[in-house]
Amino acid sequence: MAATTAGGVEAKEQPLLNVKWLTFAFMLYTVFYFWVRWYEGVYGWSAGLDSFAPEFETYWMNFLYTEIVLEVVTASILWGYLWKTRDRNLAALAPREELRRNMTHLIWLFAYAWAIYWGASYFTEQDGTWHQTIVRDTDFTPSHIIEFYLSYPIYIITGGGAFLYAHTRLPYFSTSKGLSLAYLILWTGPFMILPNVGLNEWGHTFWFMEELFVAPLHYGFVIFGWLALAIMGVLLQVFASISNLIGKDLCPDIPPAQR
Amino acid sequence: MSALQSAVRSHAEAVQVSRTIDYLGIFIFFFVVVGSYHIHAMLTMGDWDFWSDWKDRRLWVTVTPIVLVTFPAAIQAWTWEKFRNPWGATIAVLALLFGEWVNRYFNFWGWTYFPINFVFPAILVPGAILLDTFLMLSGSYLFTAIVGGMAWGLIFYPGNWPMIAPLHVPVEYNGMLMSIADIQGYNYVRTGTPEYIRMVEKGTLRTFGKDVAPVSAFFSAFMSILIYFMWHFVGRWFSTVRFLKQT
Repeated sequence: MAATTAGGVEAKEQPLLNVKWLTFAFMLYTVFYFWVRWYEGVYGWSAGLDSFAPEFETYWMNFLYTEIVLEVVTASILWGYLWKTRDRNLAALAPREELRRNMTHLIWLFAYAWAIYWGASYFTEQDGTWHQTIVRDTDFTPSHIIEFYLSYPIYIITGGGAFLYAHTRLPYFSTSKGLSLAYLILWTGPFMILPNVGLNEWGHTFWFMEELFVAPLHYGFVIFGWLALAIMGVLLQVFASISNLIGKDLCPDIPPAQR
Repeated sequence: MSALQSAVRSHAEAVQVSRTIDYLGIFIFFFVVVGSYHIHAMLTMGDWDFWSDWKDRRLWVTVTPIVLVTFPAAIQAWTWEKFRNPWGATIAVLALLFGEWVNRYFNFWGWTYFPINFVFPAILVPGAILLDTFLMLSGSYLFTAIVGGMAWGLIFYPGNWPMIAPLHVPVEYNGMLMSIADIQGYNYVRTGTPEYIRMVEKGTLRTFGKDVAPVSAFFSAFMSILIYFMWHFVGRWFSTVRFLKQT
């Protein structure tokens, strides 16, 4: 233990960056998606080839119904909790605690980035290869059940958590200042990829057999994908909020007026 | 507590905290870009990138650099302008290549058994290094757009040639001339990609046969300049720090 002075007060203090929560955020998605990848690896081939077979109902449609219920429940509880426990007196926040919250906010963004990776990169291009393996007989193929209705809602829920955490707990993002435009785009852009699935599946009921990835029907996904670039604005805001807290210690020679 | 009170207790802690933030920020930025750039890439040039028998001299050479110069330009407008970090384009393509390789390996091959030498992605790093160095040395987005965008387009095919050349060796296959790449596409059955939706060079009566790849590369380079311009502004827009005030 590094800090054992001042009657144990220092020792009990929370660390600035809670590495346990960071590890938890990383492992939560990693372990879960490794399990998902194992599941589809096994049951994609054994139960996911014919959507009219009873085993498809058991292993895949029930997966779909279950995940949708769990997602709605999780989003309601998580977002509701973050809002109900919002800090109603941000003016009284000590700088040290503000820095700690900034680090926790970075854990939220870390989780969001990791969730976006699995949703937008891993499971999305994975669907590309499943399309080349089956001629689909339903819109709810195994990879669609994972990609559209599992991995997308998960990153949307995570993004909502990050957004709500920042705007309810950090003075820089305080709702009294308004809403960060970049943060709104960062959350709602990738969110809109999910409703756009409606256009995608509707279109594919006309153009069913082939999968041309670059078909214009898919461009909605592209545009909403661009919006995640708003991470650039969000990170600028995050860095600005933190440099207000520690900047003067990094550059002690700069007179206060120029900080 | 006073607003003047410091959030850190020593200079060393300030340095340590700022380094921790660096690592977290890099992770966050990298993986958001993997997702965002990869979606953009696979839905604008994905089909050429997935299969060796789509990697032709006309369409692949044209489409890929044009649609892929987007994110490097936008990210450079952020990394260079805000941090004087000369890695913007390289971060972008490393992110994309990470997403593609993980997927080709663990899914295209690992799940559905297409050979890796059929589904390897295009090489992009040489063009990104050129874009980054031109911006770093000149300090000018205008110069980078024109010379860097040009270089990005021109280097694409040469950068990839060492990888695809072995697949362009001719073979007489059941009495017909086919390249190895053609045979790969013929053998490893793709249910959703019939031959006729493959958009590759098929010859025209106005084409001088052997110049196709360089002409396409120059056209691609010219278009990359325009797209670089546009997307460098896109990068600035996405770097906004505005707040929307409730009215």
